[in-house]
This record gives sequence, C-alpha cells and structure tokens, in this order.
Amino acid sequence: MIERKGAWRRRRILAGMMTGAAALAAPSILRAAPSGKPVRVGGTLSLTGFLAQTAAIHKIAAEIMVDEINGRNGFLGRPVEYVLLDDQSKPEVARSLYEKLITVDKVDLIQGPYATAPILAAMGVAQRYGKVMIQSSMGIPKLQTYDRAFPATPFGPEPEKTYPNVILDAMASLPNPPKTIVVLSSKFPSAQFMAQGMRDQAEKRGVKVTLYLEYESGNRDFGAIAARVKEANADFLWVGSLGLESNQLLEALHKLDYKPKNHFHLYPAPGPLALSPDGDKALCSTFLEPSEPFLSRPGVRRIAGEFKERATKANLPYAIIDAQAAGMVSEWQILEAAVNGANSLDDKAIADWLKKHRVETIYGSLRFDGPYNHGGAAQLIKQVQDKEWKVVWPKEFAAPGVSLLGA
Amino acid sequence: MADLLAVTGLRAGYGRAVVLSDVTFRLEAGEAMAVLGRNGVGKTTLIDSIVGVTRRFDGSITLAGRELAPLSPEERAGLGLGWVPQERNIFRSLTVEENLTAVARPGAWTVDRIYGVFPRLKERRGNMGGALSGGEQQMLAIGRALATNPRLLLLDEPTEGLAPIIVEELLSALVRLLRAEGMAALIVEQHAHKILPITRRALILERGRIVHQGASAELLADASLLERFLGVTRR
Amino acid sequence: MPSATLLGQALISGVLAGGMYGLLAMGLSLSWGLLRLVNLSHFALAFLSAYIVYELGTKYGVAPWWSAAMVVPVMFGVGAAQYWLFDRFHVNELASLLITFSFAVIVEAGIQIYWTADYRRFETHYSTLSFKVGPFFVPVLELVLCVVASVLAWGTWMWLRKTYVGKGLRAAAEDADIAAAYGVDHRKLAYLLSGIGAAYAGIAGTFIALIATLAPAQIWAWLGVVFAVVIIGRLGNPLGALLAGMLIGASESLAMAVLSPAWAPVVSFSVLIVILLWDPEWL
Repeated sequence: MIERKGAWRRRRILAGMMTGAAALAAPSILRAAPSGKPVRVGGTLSLTGFLAQTAAIHKIAAEIMVDEINGRNGFLGRPVEYVLLDDQSKPEVARSLYEKLITVDKVDLIQGPYATAPILAAMGVAQRYGKVMIQSSMGIPKLQTYDRAFPATPFGPEPEKTYPNVILDAMASLPNPPKTIVVLSSKFPSAQFMAQGMRDQAEKRGVKVTLYLEYESGNRDFGAIAARVKEANADFLWVGSLGLESNQLLEALHKLDYKPKNHFHLYPAPGPLALSPDGDKALCSTFLEPSEPFLSRPGVRRIAGEFKERATKANLPYAIIDAQAAGMVSEWQILEAAVNGANSLDDKAIADWLKKHRVETIYGSLRFDGPYNHGGAAQLIKQVQDKEWKVVWPKEFAAPGVSLLGA
Repeated sequence: MADLLAVTGLRAGYGRAVVLSDVTFRLEAGEAMAVLGRNGVGKTTLIDSIVGVTRRFDGSITLAGRELAPLSPEERAGLGLGWVPQERNIFRSLTVEENLTAVARPGAWTVDRIYGVFPRLKERRGNMGGALSGGEQQMLAIGRALATNPRLLLLDEPTEGLAPIIVEELLSALVRLLRAEGMAALIVEQHAHKILPITRRALILERGRIVHQGASAELLADASLLERFLGVTRR
Repeated sequence: MPSATLLGQALISGVLAGGMYGLLAMGLSLSWGLLRLVNLSHFALAFLSAYIVYELGTKYGVAPWWSAAMVVPVMFGVGAAQYWLFDRFHVNELASLLITFSFAVIVEAGIQIYWTADYRRFETHYSTLSFKVGPFFVPVLELVLCVVASVLAWGTWMWLRKTYVGKGLRAAAEDADIAAAYGVDHRKLAYLLSGIGAAYAGIAGTFIALIATLAPAQIWAWLGVVFAVVIIGRLGNPLGALLAGMLIGASESLAMAVLSPAWAPVVSFSVLIVILLWDPEWL
C-alpha cells in the first residue's frame, strides 16, 4: 500500500514536472497563476434523488477538473469557480435552477447536468439564452437539437445502430456465436431506446429475439422476470438496466438456479456488478477504463490518481475512475479547450470554435462536426473477469493477454 | 351514611357558555336519583360535568369524599364512575364482548354477570357493536359501564329513541340493577312516569338550576308540580 | 400461453415478495389505524435499520440476527419518542403526514451524508440460497421473511383481539374521548404501539438489508405499493396487511409473467381500486 502510494506520488511529481515543462514552452500569459475576477461556471447535478449515486462521482470529477484548470491558466487567465446546485434528479428542478443560474446568479458559462431528462430540460433554458451547453450523458443524440449543445462522450450520432452492432460483432467473434437473444429493458427512455435498437439490429443480423420485455424503472421484484428469462433460455441476455437492476436480476436468476449464458448490461452500477458473485463475465459498454491503453493518454493517470484519492475520502465504495467520471472530465476538457481556443467567454465564439476544431480529451480526440454536433462513435466493450472490468473489444483496446470470454 | 356523590355550588358549561348555576345535591351509596327537566335545561351537562368533559367554572364535585375537579376523565373513571352517554357511543368496531372486556376492571361485575342482567347481549356476544339495534346498543352501553365495576352509574336518557317494548325490557333490567343489586345511579330522563317509580329520589332542573328536590314517590303523586316544571299531565 | 412452471414460479416469488410488502405495511397500518398517525417515516426507519445492519455486517462482521437484536429495541425507542412529539404538539392525521415526511427526508439526508448516495449491497453467502420443490425454486431468505412476517402478523392480531391493551387501543382508536371516560389510558398504550410499529420497521429493515439494494432514495420506492397494501388490508389490521401484501405481490408477479413486467406497478393500484369498489363482505 505504502509502496503504491509512493509510486503514485512519484508519478504525480513527474506529471507535475511535465506540465511545468509544457507551461514553460507555452506563451507567457499561460504561465501566470490565474488571477482577477473568477469566471463562474454554473451547473446542476442530481446530488439527491434517484440519480444521486452517479452525481457523487460527477461532482468529484468536476472538482478535480476545476482544480486542474486553476492549476494551469484558469479560463483566459482568470480563476474558474464552479457554481453547483442540486436538481434533486428532477427535470423541472433542473430547468428552474438553470434559469436561476443564468438570470439571477449571472454565471459566465454553464455545464450540463446528468441524464437525458434533466439535460433536455436544461437544454431548453440554454437555448433561450444562447448558452453553450456541454453534456456527457444524453443517450439519445437525435434529441440534442440545439446547435450550441455538445456531447462530451463519443456516443456517435446513431448509437441505436452503432452500439448494438459493436456488441453483435463482439458476440460473432466467439467460437459459439449466440443464435438467440433475450432483450430485457427498463422503461427508462434512454435504455428503452437502446433496447429497441438492439432488437432491430439483432433481427437484421439473423439472431432470433426469443423474448423482448420492458419493465418499469424502479421495479422491486425480479422473481417473475427471472422466471421468464430462464424459460426463454437464450444464448445471449441483453439487459437495458440502470444502477443495481442488473444485480437484482442476476440474483433472482441465481435463486432459480439459472446462470445466463452471455449477458450484457447497459448502464449498471459498475462496482457492485463486478463484485457480485453472479457478475462473472458480465458485459457492458464503455468509453474508457482505468487501464492501458487509456492511462497513457495525456493527464489520465494523474486524474485517475486524484479521483481515487478523493473518492476514497468521500467514502464511495468504488473509487476507481470509469466512463461515468470520465464524461465529466471530458466536459471540462472541452470547455477549457474551447474557451482558450476561441480566446473568449462569448457563447457564440465558443460554439463556433468547437464546430471547427478537435479536442483532445480523456476519451481521445473528439470532433463535433457531425449530425447533432456528434463526431464518430467510439464504444468499447468491457467484461467482468476476476471481479474486475476489463476492456475486451475491439481487440486493439484490450490489454495484453485479455480477450472476450464466451459462455 | 356518607354521601357517595356530593355536588356543591356547581357552575359549569362549554367554552364560555355557562349552562349550570349553583347546582347542589347529594347522593347516598345505593341510592338511585332521577334528574328531570325539559329539553335543554342542563341535564346532560350535569352528567358530563361529573364525567369531566365540560368546563367547570366554580363549585365542587366529590365522589366518596374525593374532589374530582383536578382529575382527567380516565382518572375519574378509575375512581368508579360508570358513564352511559346519551349517544351510547359503544365501540362499533369491537364485538359486544370486546366492548365489555376492553374496559373491564376486576370486581363483582363480571362479563357473565352482565350477561345475566342482559341475556340479549350474551346472544350477540360475537357481533360487532355497529351491528346492534338501538335497544341492544343501550344495553351494551349500560353493560360496558357495569364492566368497569363502578360505584355510581350515570345514565343519560337511557330510553330515548327506543321502541316501547324495548323500553319495557330495559326498564325491568334497570329495576333489577337498582333494587336487587343496589347500584347507585343518577338517571337523566324526559319521561318522569317511567323513571320515578324506579328511583328513590328526584331533582328537577330548569334553566340550569335545581328547582325541586325530593322523594320520587312524592313527586309522582304531585300532579301540579309535574305539570309546572315538566309540562306533564297525568295520563 | 405461459407454462405451468412459469406461472407457479411467478406465484411463489410473488407471494414471498409480498411478504415484504406486508411486513412494511404492518407498522404503518397499526399507527394509521390505531393512532390516526400516518407515519411516512416508517420507510425511513426501515432503511435506517437496513443501513445499520449493513454497516455492522460489512464493517464488523456482525451477523444480521445479532444486529437485529440491537436495532429493533432502538427502533422501539425511536417510535415511542416520535409519539412523544406527536402528543406534545397535538399532531392530527394530516399534520402527521407532513411531519413524518419531513422526518423521513431528514433521515434520508443523514443516510446520504454517512453512507453516500451510492448503492450498497450486503452480500451474504445465503442471500441467493434457494431449494427445490418439484419444478419450483423457493428462495430461502424470502421464505424466512414470510414466516417471520406471518408470526408477527398473527401475534399482533391476537394481541389486539385478546389482551386488555389491544382492545383498549382499538376502542381508543374509534373514540379516544369515550375510551378515556371508561378509564382507557390512551396515551400510555399509544407509546407502546408507536414503539411496536417502529420495531417492526427495524425487523423489515433487517430483511431489506439482506434482500434489497440500499440507496437513500430507495426509501420512497416502496411507498405507493405499501400504501395500497395498508388500505386493502384495512387500517389497524396486521393480518389483513400481510394477506394484502401477499395478494399484491402475487398479482404483480403474475402480471409480470403473463402480461408484461411493465404492468406490475399498475397492478397494485388496480387491485386497490377493484377492492374499494367491490367492497367484499369478508374484508
């Protein structure tokens, strides 16, 4: 433990030195510590309510990024202040809080909330005031119709097609590719959207959908659903789950003495699923994992270390940076790059700059010139192996010696 | 013999309204007293004041020498007041037997003995209070008061709204209670001819004051007095 | 048409899941029916208990039954203390709804501060245990829960019917003033009952810790269905609450098996409406 901490410290010193070196090479204005009146960036997160689990992760990621940015040059030499409010996981609260942030608090810039519904609510307000809004978690890109809204996560413009195909490609690479699939989904809009895409693409590729079921989000008892899944007994179980629904379903299946063959989970709570005795070989989408080759991207190792420290301190049970936290990191990286690139806090100038430039983020190089301001899709697939998430697909992103395991 | 109940200079009412003024009377152990008067003269207020659900402005009420004024209704019940309210107020969601046992206190009045006085209650012991007829509810209300093994029964218009045949049944049970069992009782009644024969003494209230006190038998014989205060003429 | 195995399995898991509804409904039903206090904080107390059982179990390795032995009496105290507040401030039925709601929100916030909003799961080696009866699987933990709930429901029902205290409570619930005039000390009994209701939340919480996933916002997840159960089971009737819980659990589960899982939430309220309209004699 001490040794690892030491290693982290060495890396951080190293990283610090490298940042210092980069700063020395940069124009002199970048070198000065930010000063003057702070640039206020307003946003909400669902600090309470049913989305609060993920908001805790986002909050830490955002705070790390604000510190990082202030450790560099701030925004145009001015320190950055994050004005964070709690939208209670309610779109209507998000809407009025963004209204307040823009008109009462008079923030300079805004940052998007989390999850499709609050994002849509906030986007309406942003549009009314012409504010640039960067968000990381709107799973239905075609709903992002505002031309100054930008995605920080590389879903691509049509994830309902690209997403299932990445999964089906991965499945097709197995020695015994699945011939039948059960698609099960929460009625949560973004999950339902993906589930329907999965069903359509599976049928198109000749994988028979033997059961398609939707359950209410917040479903308490998975006993009967598990009984149906067991009876259908397909080669592949695709679950459009949120949070701990996957754990609940797998436990319910376990109680029926049934182990799904290949199983995929859409938006599970990553920690509990990896640690669950029933989570073995569970599949999930991702854009980033705290492993190679991702850690070699600039700054990632440092941010991951910082995240681990702060998340542990905040008593989060799963203190490793993942795609959730990375989305928030990416949001701030994009905003920082755009403000400094446009050399302006003006929303129009920032939006124009983003449409013409790529930004290097924790997710790699992102562009915003496609439909709905999306660039290319970059979904990856990870799998629980030995109680840890490992990227297994596409093969070039898998760590050495790691590969997709079939049932 | 010592007084069981002594009411002295009682002034009482509800809220700011004074209903009773300067009410003073005594009741001995084993004695039954009728409280007569026209509608709205304060008969029920008198009973309620003894039970403790009115506002007392002045005066005192003692039960077996103990001042009731500072006591709550539960504490007064504990000292031996058996109230049979005008509305009967039996517990509708409890069975007949539960109505009796929920409030029962150890003493001579067991459930079986109450069934002895009111055989009808025994027949309907398993029925919900809410399912009883008016007469049965009245019997249950009396039975429930007896179950607390009271020293004094306070009956508020026990025959009101009941069919004549039921009234007869009820009155004969009351006679048994008062005469044979020697239960002390204060009985509010509209119908003087029904109650005077079974009580020893009577008092008449008018506009919150006692206007007559005396032996029931004498009052029953005094047609002019009955006529004057109660508007009753001899049938 | 679904197979008999599927239907039977759905029925078993539904009835057993309904045991949890019943167990949660019991305490709520007692305080609503007999004290005229709608105690929304019942759910918060159940989850607080669950978190404590989780904490003791995961941090110190305390077995859940030992945790329960500690948590349940504490909850009894909390329930009695709550009644002291209600009595002190003369809280009526409607006000109790608001006050206990606030109390629940405070507990939720407290849980979130201490345990964070993250999902918590108390993994035990018996959490997914089940045994086979013919073609059906019976989950052990849920079965134990149902047995405990049944014993409590029946015991409480008998207590309310047969003891002086129980009958006094029912009499006072119907008419506290009249009951008082017959010497029933409503208050003393109310402290006891309020404590018992909260103690049941502690018992429910122990099972929630073992069966469900914990997150602060989950406090509200059971609210709707448990209210339906309380009303179907008749206020103040613990046996009714348990049976109504099992009825709703089974209906939900069968709807999920035969129709679509998305029908489940509609079921509890449909059953409630049907029963309210039908108003059968036996209820």
